[in-house]
Amino acid sequence: MIVYDVRNLAKTYPGATEPANKDISFQVREGEIFGILGDNGAGKTTLIKQMVNLLPSSSGDILLYGKPLDHEALYLPSLVGYMPQESHSLNQLTVAEALYYSAHLRGMKRSAALDERDCLLKLWDMENLRDHTSSRLSGGQRRLLRLAVATAALSKVLVLDEPTNDLDPQKRRLVWENLRALNRDRGTTIIFITHDAAEAEKIIERVGILHQGELIVTGAPHALKRNLKNKLRLEIAFEPGQAPSLPADLAPRQLTETRWQIYLEQHQLGAVTAALDIDRLTDMKLSSATLEDLYFHYVDAV
Amino acid sequence: MSTRSRAQNFPLQLIDLVLIELSNWRWSWRSILVVGACVPLFGMIGLSIYARDLGPDALHIIFSGSLVMSMMLGNLGNIQSHVVFMRFQGTLEYFATLPVHKHTLMLAIIIAFFLLSLPALLTLLVVGSALLRISLAPHPLLLLVMPLCVLPMSAIGALIGVSVGSSQQGGSLSVLTAFLFGGLGPVLFPAERLPEVLRLIGLINPAARAASALRQTLIGPLDQQIALDLAILFGFTLCVFYVVGKKLDWRASHSLR
Repeated sequence: MIVYDVRNLAKTYPGATEPANKDISFQVREGEIFGILGDNGAGKTTLIKQMVNLLPSSSGDILLYGKPLDHEALYLPSLVGYMPQESHSLNQLTVAEALYYSAHLRGMKRSAALDERDCLLKLWDMENLRDHTSSRLSGGQRRLLRLAVATAALSKVLVLDEPTNDLDPQKRRLVWENLRALNRDRGTTIIFITHDAAEAEKIIERVGILHQGELIVTGAPHALKRNLKNKLRLEIAFEPGQAPSLPADLAPRQLTETRWQIYLEQHQLGAVTAALDIDRLTDMKLSSATLEDLYFHYVDAV
Repeated sequence: MSTRSRAQNFPLQLIDLVLIELSNWRWSWRSILVVGACVPLFGMIGLSIYARDLGPDALHIIFSGSLVMSMMLGNLGNIQSHVVFMRFQGTLEYFATLPVHKHTLMLAIIIAFFLLSLPALLTLLVVGSALLRISLAPHPLLLLVMPLCVLPMSAIGALIGVSVGSSQQGGSLSVLTAFLFGGLGPVLFPAERLPEVLRLIGLINPAARAASALRQTLIGPLDQQIALDLAILFGFTLCVFYVVGKKLDWRASHSLR
C-alpha cells in the first residue's frame, strides 16, 4: 500500500526568486523506512513541512493513503506523528507532561496514556528527566523529547526532521535501534530527513537524495550502489608528513592531514595493497561503498 | 485502509489543552503579579487620591476601571506574547500535528490565562475595595460577567499575536491597544467628564462595557444596562474569535490540485 504519494511538488516562498524545491515526485510504501538525504539548504525541511501539511505547496499534490492531506481537518494528525526541528516546541511542559498529553490527545484513555508515558520514558532513556521542563533541557535532550512525543500513542506513520542532530553517539544508537524496532515490531512507516548519510545508513531501506531543491534519485541503497563505478572504499592512515605512494592511475582524496580515501574497482585492489608499505600504515579500512559515497556520487554528477 | 488514532472529544481536548496552557504559570506568574495586580493597584491608589472629593460614584468608577485595566493589560499582553512565541518557536506546529482543532486551542489559551490571572484579580478586588472603602455586594451574575470581561481583551491579544511579524511589534501594539481601549470611553473616568465623542465610542468599547458590567454586579445597582453590556461583550468576543480562527495559519488550508 502506498502511504505517501508525492507528485510534481514545488514550493516557492513569497518574495523568493528561486523555488525551495521543484518537480519532486516519489512514493513511500507502508512499513518502509525512507530517508531523505541532502546538504544544508537542499530543501529538506521545506519538503517535510509540506508532507505534514504545515506549509502549502505552490504546485503539485501530496496524497496520504490515497487522499489529500486536508480532506478532513484532523485526517493527517490522526495518522502521522511528526517530530519538528524547532527546539522550543514543548517549552513549558515537563518531559512527563509532554508525553502524557501527546498520548492522551492522540486518543488514548487516561490510564493507557499514563502507561504510555512511563513506557516512553523508559524506551527513550529519559526517566531521570521526567520532571524537568523542556526549556531546561539541553539541545540533545530536547530533540530526544520531541522524538519521544512524536512516537506517543504510536501513529501509523512517523515523519522526523533530523532525529539525531545534537545527540551523543550513545543516544544516536538508541534512536536508530528504537526506530528500527518500531518499524519491525509495529510496522510503522518511518520517513526522516538527515544530512548525515553515515548515520542514516544504519536504518534506511530506501533513500531519496535532495540537492538544490530537486530530488535527483530515489531507490534502495543496495540497488543504487550497483550504479557506482568504484564500489570499494579504502581508507588509509599514515604518520604525519608521510604521504602515501600509490599507483599513478588512482586519485586519492585527503580527508585529514594523515588520512586518505580511495575509491577502487575490484580488479585494482591487488595492485593497491601490493603498492602500500604496510609498516608505514597506522590504520587501514576496506569497505564496500557507503550511503555517503552514494550521496556524493549523485550530487557530484549534477 | 489505515488505522487512525481517534481524536478526543471536545471536552477532553479542551481540558487537556487548558492544563497544558496552565503550565505557562512557569514563566508568566511574575508578569501576572506585576502587570495584573501591582500596576493597577498603584494606579487605583493614585486616582483615588485625586477623586476622593468627587464622591463615591467616582471611586466606584476608578475601582471597576482598575479591575478592567488589570484584566486587559494582563491577559491581552500575556496572550499576545504567548501566541507570538508559539508561532515563532514551533509550539504551534506541535499542536498542529496533534488531532486537535485550532479554535479549541485558542479557547484553551484564553481560559488558562484567565484562570492564571484570577489570583491577581482577586487580590486587587479585596485590597482595592478595602483601600477605597467600597462595600461590595456581589451579584450571582458576576460569575458570567467576569469571564465575559476577560474574553474580548484576550481575543484581541490573540488577534495581535497571530497578526504581528515579531515579538517586539506585538509587545508595543498590545500596550498601545490596552491604553486605547482604556482611554476611549468611561473606563477609568466618569462619563460626564469625557468629551462627547469618547462617550459615544464608549458605548461600543468592550473595556467601557466591561467596567460598567463589573460595577453593576460588584457594587450595584443592577439595571437594564447590564443586558447591553453583556451583549456587546459577547458579540465583540465572537467577532474577534472568528477573525483569529481565520487568520491562524497552522495547517496549510488547501493543497493545490
